[in-house]
Amino acid sequence: MIGRKSGLTAAAAIGTLALGLAACGGGSGGSSGSDDGKPKKGGILKVVGAGGQDNLDPTSAYSTVSSALQRTYSRQLFAYPASKDPKAASTPVPDVAASMPTLDNGGISKDGLTYKIQLRHGVMWNSSPAREMVAGDFVRAFKHMCNPASPVGAPNYYVPNIKGMQSYCDPFLKDKKLQQDAKGIADYENGHEISGVKALDNYTIQFDLTKPASDFISLLAMTFASAVPVEYYQYIPGSVNQFKHLVSAGPYQITSYDPNKSITMDKNPNWKADTDPLRHQYVDKIQVTEGQGSPEAVQQQLEGGTSADISLDQPVPASALGRLAAKNDPNLTVNGPPISNPYLVFNLKSPNEKKAMQNLKVRQAIEYAINKVALAKVYGGPKYNTPLNTIIPPDSVGYQDYNLYPTNGSQGDANKCKQLLSEAGYPNGLKIKAAYRQAGNHPAIFQSYAQDLQACGITVTGVPVPQADFYSQFLQKTDNTIAGKWDVAAPGWVPDWFGNNGRSVVSPLFDGRNWADGTSNYGGYDSPVTNGLIDKALEAKTVDEAANFWHQADQQIMKDAAIVPFMAQKTPWYHSSKVKGATWLPIAQQFDFTNLWLSGS
Amino acid sequence: MSLTDLEADASLPAAEEVAAAGPIQGRSPWQLAWARLRRDKAAMISLAIIVLLIVMALIAPLISKWIGYAPAFGDRKLGITEDGLPVGLNGHHPLGTDRLGRDLLVRAVYGARISLIVGLVSTALATILGVVVGAMAGYFGGVIDTVLARFMDVTLSFPYLLFAIALAAAFGASTPLTVLVITFFSWASIGRIVRGQVISIKQREFVEAARSLGAGNIRIIFIDVIPNLLAPLIVLATMTIPVAIVFESTLSFLGAGIDPRTPSWGNMLSDATETYQVAWWTLVVPAAFLLITTLAFNILGDAVRDALDPRSERLFAAQKAGRKKKK
Repeated sequence: MIGRKSGLTAAAAIGTLALGLAACGGGSGGSSGSDDGKPKKGGILKVVGAGGQDNLDPTSAYSTVSSALQRTYSRQLFAYPASKDPKAASTPVPDVAASMPTLDNGGISKDGLTYKIQLRHGVMWNSSPAREMVAGDFVRAFKHMCNPASPVGAPNYYVPNIKGMQSYCDPFLKDKKLQQDAKGIADYENGHEISGVKALDNYTIQFDLTKPASDFISLLAMTFASAVPVEYYQYIPGSVNQFKHLVSAGPYQITSYDPNKSITMDKNPNWKADTDPLRHQYVDKIQVTEGQGSPEAVQQQLEGGTSADISLDQPVPASALGRLAAKNDPNLTVNGPPISNPYLVFNLKSPNEKKAMQNLKVRQAIEYAINKVALAKVYGGPKYNTPLNTIIPPDSVGYQDYNLYPTNGSQGDANKCKQLLSEAGYPNGLKIKAAYRQAGNHPAIFQSYAQDLQACGITVTGVPVPQADFYSQFLQKTDNTIAGKWDVAAPGWVPDWFGNNGRSVVSPLFDGRNWADGTSNYGGYDSPVTNGLIDKALEAKTVDEAANFWHQADQQIMKDAAIVPFMAQKTPWYHSSKVKGATWLPIAQQFDFTNLWLSGS
Repeated sequence: MSLTDLEADASLPAAEEVAAAGPIQGRSPWQLAWARLRRDKAAMISLAIIVLLIVMALIAPLISKWIGYAPAFGDRKLGITEDGLPVGLNGHHPLGTDRLGRDLLVRAVYGARISLIVGLVSTALATILGVVVGAMAGYFGGVIDTVLARFMDVTLSFPYLLFAIALAAAFGASTPLTVLVITFFSWASIGRIVRGQVISIKQREFVEAARSLGAGNIRIIFIDVIPNLLAPLIVLATMTIPVAIVFESTLSFLGAGIDPRTPSWGNMLSDATETYQVAWWTLVVPAAFLLITTLAFNILGDAVRDALDPRSERLFAAQKAGRKKKK
């Protein structure tokens, strides 16, 4: 299951983006590199935001903020390059791995079940004395995932897919006695092996999978799979004590940590540029200040440029977007790959109006009714969004442009909608309940699509839900869904990673099996065809094969009209005028702190 | 200003009218009050504004038809820019549009309906409830008084905004709920004042006279006590209306009021928070309507109080004069 990164927090942040003018403001992936000049060294990068939920433990941290911070001190076998091209920025490349394993070079076995990965030499921990990172540190990472004190954020990505991990994890996770026992955890991990994760020697690691997974490299590129140094056995995982004694293998190390208040990072003297193909050490110091939860206040500081350079987690305020774009502010960037946010999900379990939502023709009628251009304007218009007609947005694996429900200029077609409603047996229209979040752009989105539905004869009753309750207390409660407390809703979704990410998008949103409380398949969509295609896509041996199945699943879901995609949305993000060379790190929804530099220093 | 000046002020024109009218006419206190009110220019302007608002609210559909847009209709062709920004004042939209392209003038006049209905209805309900409970408490005294007075205290000590938001979350936002919430939080302050007044009135001689003539409690309350409360009640009610209107706007602003599509001034203000930095009119239009309306009710309320109870002003003026002298 996808946790907080996907649902609440990220979508909440996205919810408040927008309404923007858009004369300009840098192209996709940031402003053009040429005017940034040559990288300079020095200066203090000031990062300011709300923070307050620090988890600096690479294994368990599950948030975009922690991904952004970990870029500076944790290392993975594979990671994402700094690139202005959203597709390249969301395709993993070797980090500590020496090369990319493929079927052709034998790194991946013919059956797609065995990955043999060579490690780069000379990657050093900042331990004293300095120690080289070896294959055992990655084996430890996987053993550490199931520690009961602070387990991996998304176990389903790893535990069922790696041979022997389930049987290794089950007793470990259940042993609650170990939650306060660092030594006990170390003993368990040292005394047990995962049969599918083996260090063949210091520079070779082998993974054996239970079934092929073309996105296994993407899974290894998540911060969950960061190397874990032996020093972490001294602390209870996820404890402040551990955060204060982090061992770094990246260009920066944490030198001062005040929980939920501030984090200071200085250069890691043990880090060598020639052992890190992805990161740099341009700025001298990174100073993170937490406790500032107002987008407007943070924006003001960014524009002032003396107390803040980058927002930790506060979106560009809607009102500022218009103003910045009007003056062509070069420090405003619009970043991809885009996400499908928000989208209209149908409650396929709703008993309301003679089970109208269970009627395919009614849902297809609504597909035609929606004016996607008007919706995109709520989020700032074409500069930030384009109308989306597919499940998978552009720049993600499996995306192909097609449109089953075309309307003139994507502006909706009330007549076509009415005609289909008549055919469905609702010639006099119907009444539906629309749940919406009472925050940010969500009421405006609700009102916009409600106007389209009204034009087609569908009367929409608004069901306002507080932002904080929207997912966990409302949409994800299957009782609400079955009782028909809502017929349509417009949730958002930020995938855990980009690129080959069907496991993090199509699978959680549209796999109808095991539908239960906490699901992200809010409307209870369940199609045997789609479920089968999801299985095939997940077990494909190559990315291309997977892309084909994901696209087929996409088509099936659109044919079944399980949702109405609204727009492919990019993320506006702002930095102070001092910041140069900023590139977007999609997995962190943040600039890459290790690839930017400061002017005038 | 001295005490005598004031008295002369108040009585002089009346004397002129009396002279002009020939034979001396008897005048009720109400007629006197109306005469005093009519001489208050600010009050008359406020009254005119309120009447104008009521007329506007009544003919809102006509205004909507004349301008050509329904209040909840987002005009995506002319009412919103390519980048999703509201458009300013122009020929199609006299007061501009909001971020969904809806005409602000049409929304504002429809908003007057909501504001006036909520303001008047909840004030009426609150007054009735306040009078009934307050009169019972004040008149019967004893245990009934203790229970009712404490109940009023409890009501007054509720954190009303939190309570209102919780109610809206539990039952869904709607106009009737908004009216009920405002009523619930307004009646107690009226009830308290009524109770105090009733306690003092019930000890007056005419009440004793009525009782000695065999009048029952209900008769005394409705025939002897409540009519003597009318003056303060009218004042209280006029002052409660603007509070109720602002309360409604606050609730809508916080999203605990009515459906966001309903044109209400609070909703419009809430929408404006997203846009006012680039489109000032989205904020100014509803704010101006709200300001003018509440100001008009407040000025009128003040004037009505002065007119109904000239003593209060004279006493006040006398106190002020006294204080001045001491200096």
